[in-house]
Amino acid sequence: MAHLSYEESKKVVFKGLIFLGVITIVEVAIALLAKGQIIEGFHLNKTFYSILMAVFSLIKALYILGEFMHLKYESKALRVGMAIPLILLVWAAIAFSQDGYTFEQRRERSGDEHFPEKPPVAEHSLHDVAH
Amino acid sequence: MTEHTTVVEEHPEVDYGQAWQGGDKPLKASYGKLMMWYFLLSDAFTFSGFLIAYSALRFNSSTWPEADFVFSTFPGGFHHMPLIFVTVMTFILILSSVTMVRAVQEGQRENQKGVAFWMGLTILGGLSFLGCQAWEWTNLITKEHVSLYTNPFGKYEADGVYINEDGSEGETFRAGSGYLVHKHDGHWAPKKYKVTSGPEAGTIKTQVFGPRAFGALFFVITGFHGFHVFSGVLFLLIIMLNVISGIYKKRKNGYEMVEKIGLYWHFVDLVWVYVFLVFYLL
Amino acid sequence: MENNSLLIDDEKLLKENGYDDHFHDHHHDEDPYQSNFFSKYVFSMDHKMIAKQFLITGMFWAVIGAAMSVIFRLQLGFPEDSMTWIKPLLGKWIVIDSAGVGHLATEFYYALVTMHGTIIVFFVLTAGLSGTFSNLLIPLQIGARDMASPLLNMLSYWFFFLASVIMFLSLFVSTGPFAGGWVAYPPLSALPQASSGSGMGMTLWLISLTFFVVSVLLGGINYITTVLNLRTKGMSMWRLPLTIWSFFITAIIGLLSFPVLVSGFLLLMADRSLGTSFYLSEIFINGHALDNVGGSPILYQHLFWFLGHPEVYIIILPAMGIASEVLSTHSRKPIFGYKAMVISIASIAFLSFLVWAHHMFMSGMNPFISNFFVIFTLIIAVPSAVKVFNWISTLYGGSIRLNTAMLFAIGFVSMFISGGLTGIYLGNSALDIQMHDTYFVVAHFHIVMGVAAFFGMFAGIYHWFPKMYGRFMNETLGKLHFWGTMIGAYLIFWPMHYLGLAGVPRRYYSFDVFDTFSQFSDLNKFITVAAIITFFLQIVFIANFFHSIFFGKKVKEKNPWKSNTLEWTTPIHAGHGNWPGNIPTVHRWPYDYSKDGFDFIPQIQPPLAGETENH
Ligand code: HEM
Ligand SMILES: [Cu+2]
Repeated sequence: MAHLSYEESKKVVFKGLIFLGVITIVEVAIALLAKGQIIEGFHLNKTFYSILMAVFSLIKALYILGEFMHLKYESKALRVGMAIPLILLVWAAIAFSQDGYTFEQRRERSGDEHFPEKPPVAEHSLHDVAH
Repeated sequence: MTEHTTVVEEHPEVDYGQAWQGGDKPLKASYGKLMMWYFLLSDAFTFSGFLIAYSALRFNSSTWPEADFVFSTFPGGFHHMPLIFVTVMTFILILSSVTMVRAVQEGQRENQKGVAFWMGLTILGGLSFLGCQAWEWTNLITKEHVSLYTNPFGKYEADGVYINEDGSEGETFRAGSGYLVHKHDGHWAPKKYKVTSGPEAGTIKTQVFGPRAFGALFFVITGFHGFHVFSGVLFLLIIMLNVISGIYKKRKNGYEMVEKIGLYWHFVDLVWVYVFLVFYLL
Repeated sequence: MENNSLLIDDEKLLKENGYDDHFHDHHHDEDPYQSNFFSKYVFSMDHKMIAKQFLITGMFWAVIGAAMSVIFRLQLGFPEDSMTWIKPLLGKWIVIDSAGVGHLATEFYYALVTMHGTIIVFFVLTAGLSGTFSNLLIPLQIGARDMASPLLNMLSYWFFFLASVIMFLSLFVSTGPFAGGWVAYPPLSALPQASSGSGMGMTLWLISLTFFVVSVLLGGINYITTVLNLRTKGMSMWRLPLTIWSFFITAIIGLLSFPVLVSGFLLLMADRSLGTSFYLSEIFINGHALDNVGGSPILYQHLFWFLGHPEVYIIILPAMGIASEVLSTHSRKPIFGYKAMVISIASIAFLSFLVWAHHMFMSGMNPFISNFFVIFTLIIAVPSAVKVFNWISTLYGGSIRLNTAMLFAIGFVSMFISGGLTGIYLGNSALDIQMHDTYFVVAHFHIVMGVAAFFGMFAGIYHWFPKMYGRFMNETLGKLHFWGTMIGAYLIFWPMHYLGLAGVPRRYYSFDVFDTFSQFSDLNKFITVAAIITFFLQIVFIANFFHSIFFGKKVKEKNPWKSNTLEWTTPIHAGHGNWPGNIPTVHRWPYDYSKDGFDFIPQIQPPLAGETENH
């Protein structure tokens, strides 16, 4: 490790273990809380929950990149060189998801909201039962 | 790759102006390490392709199974342990990443024994992760009958009450809770239920399959990740044998090969963060 | 401008100023790279030989791809005429009707169109262009002995070769090669029963292209790290020739876009053979609904074009780099706006990842998101225009040598302008409603990508042939080739704009059922005749190429074009390691033409006494 002594870097490893472990536990705990597994009937707002989880994951990912993969100690050019391409994915994620959502909306508007999946047994087809 | 590349030597760090002026490594990394970084960047785009496709298909579905319902079994016949098993898997992977870091650090001190030891532990971690994944897949496929084209996990849109065979009312359930369409004697046995809330209150319905994209995406994406873990274990094994045989000791470059495979291994861990996020948390 | 005699001799500079990397200490006579026929010509790890392998394989495919287009153009231009004469070649794909007239089988027409696109886009203009010239020029122009990893470089070629063999085999399966368009949209590509080519043909297509991606990635990783780490002393990034800049950025684009195609392909393979429904939903075949539900065919289109659009820049950027270098050398003027050129290449690369869905305006995609794609698309026109402006300014006032390489480079600029302008029409989603999937699009991309990239490639071949083979190509034949191709290409593709504006759809086997298009039957004949003539002109090129390898005029001096870049400081027949002694060191940028009374000042010349500003 270029910038840390051997003893220091050994400590970083240990800290990393604790850090990632704790975040994972917190994530799972919040997930269970959010979905009403801990307190009957209590649910977290979906959007808020999703953003929270995405942020936690980002922190974990950055930690792995920075400390474990050592990117934090690499040259600035390498860091920037890795970061710029990843930015491209943001627009891709937005566009793909938004388009998937459009499709779902169209189906719903056309009255087929339970399309696509049918009940597993033919004689109990959804439409026979519902109408 | 290195055996054949000795002909093309990078220029030693000559004192010639700034790094970008040529005759030097502007990113302060050997080309071998850079190659690994760029490979990982491209691999990150492969995974992103999958995860973004997942996102599109999930938004494309009007309903999606609840992860805390789907992933709630634990080896040994335990049920109702939501997300516990996958948390264990995540820990195993984190631990193996940590041992990998230790291996790299020992490599930088040119400590041959230390490298081999920590790499051994990393391989163990990788194998245990693969074992866990094998169990999880087996459980989903054989016990719960999820496959690439059927997904018996669904989610109720409204409150309701089950209707027994004899027409009497059974247990009640809440909107948003998950269900698994069971299979009896090789036949699907969806339950009937009466809706008790919302606009459709009073109608009798039969459980339907959940969106099949769920199962397919799960197997394809975790499978692709598992394949990376598997090949990682193979590479680790080969490199560990080379460490033991003393090849890298002779090279006197701080066990750079170990560092490169370390990058790959951490990357697999990093991808898992996102697989974990989309399949198990969201 | 004859003071060039005042410059110091190359050999002397190499000896005294060069950099000794002790390369030749470990490589004596029995160089393992060149020791026998196989290691020298077949499994070669020398970048110059690998470049030639890419080039020749690319030429092989170019002939096949172009011949295919002639056959389907015959159908379009002369739908009534008998094609029985070609039955010996095509066999059962020529169907003889009751009157004894042979017609091209419809399925095979689609297969030809599909294979033509796939082959030209991937095998010729990606592997044949960027593969050839990145390999040839990167080590030579940055002053390196070879690529960072010669082994991976060799593998890159052999994966391409494997992909080629598989695609070639697919031409001979009894159900025919894949026939669903080079973009391979589902459901035609996802359901093996969808059409005759969707079975075995499509399977081979997928396997072949997957190997192809491996080849691109192996090559790309190598090009990037080589450019970063192996530049010789003094070769700063801002002294790289524009060729190298364009290969470097092309490799980065490839590295980021092809993997996404792989994910799309893997999902497609699962749909084809594992029964998943990633891209399939609500499909009826013969009145029966398929069981596949819940997928989205548009998802495939997104994944494909996330590669597809960057891919068109993977094709055109190397051509741009080559054109810049050739234009500057042969007009004896520094390239105009060097930094602006580099920044344009980089911003085109970045933007090319934001615009992919302009190919999907009519797919049923959310029209609101289309707006963003329109905006990003139109922004790309800015750096493209900057480049065009700079090329023209480079020519302005130069002492132009109109040799074949230069003619093709100028032709490149012309084609890029004509085709780029129609891109701006298509980039507006409202206009695209009318023009999507018509011959207007065909005209657009053939001019801007097809012909322009071919011209870049031709310019490169004529310019660097002396470096590759130590001989010149025949200039007279070259000029015939240029003028014929230039005029021919415009005659083929220009009229297609009118067809497209009138609404003639692309990929149709016949327009019999559209009365309104019968007015174009003469125009279609005209296009076909032009295409045939242009095709046969390419034979002139191929004959010239192979003849010149053995019998061309010999190169007598190391630097026949009086060019500044480093490849011309190597011996006429450079061996493995490129420079027999030291590698050169660099003291200036590559574009010191007509400076301070010197005709040209090569990059290895140290600053001269009293020289004005040195880059
Ligand atoms: C100013 C720059 C450009 C703009 C605004 C532009 C815009 C477009 C648009 C909107 C389409 C889709 C048309 C449709 O299918 O309805 C298209 C098609 C296409 N463009 Fe461009 N383009 C530009 C430059 C280029 C360049 C430089 C290349 C290649 C080097 C290129 C290659 C293609 C190809 C291959 C297609 C058709 C693909 C297919 O459907 O088979 N374009 N262009
Ligand atoms: Cu495009």
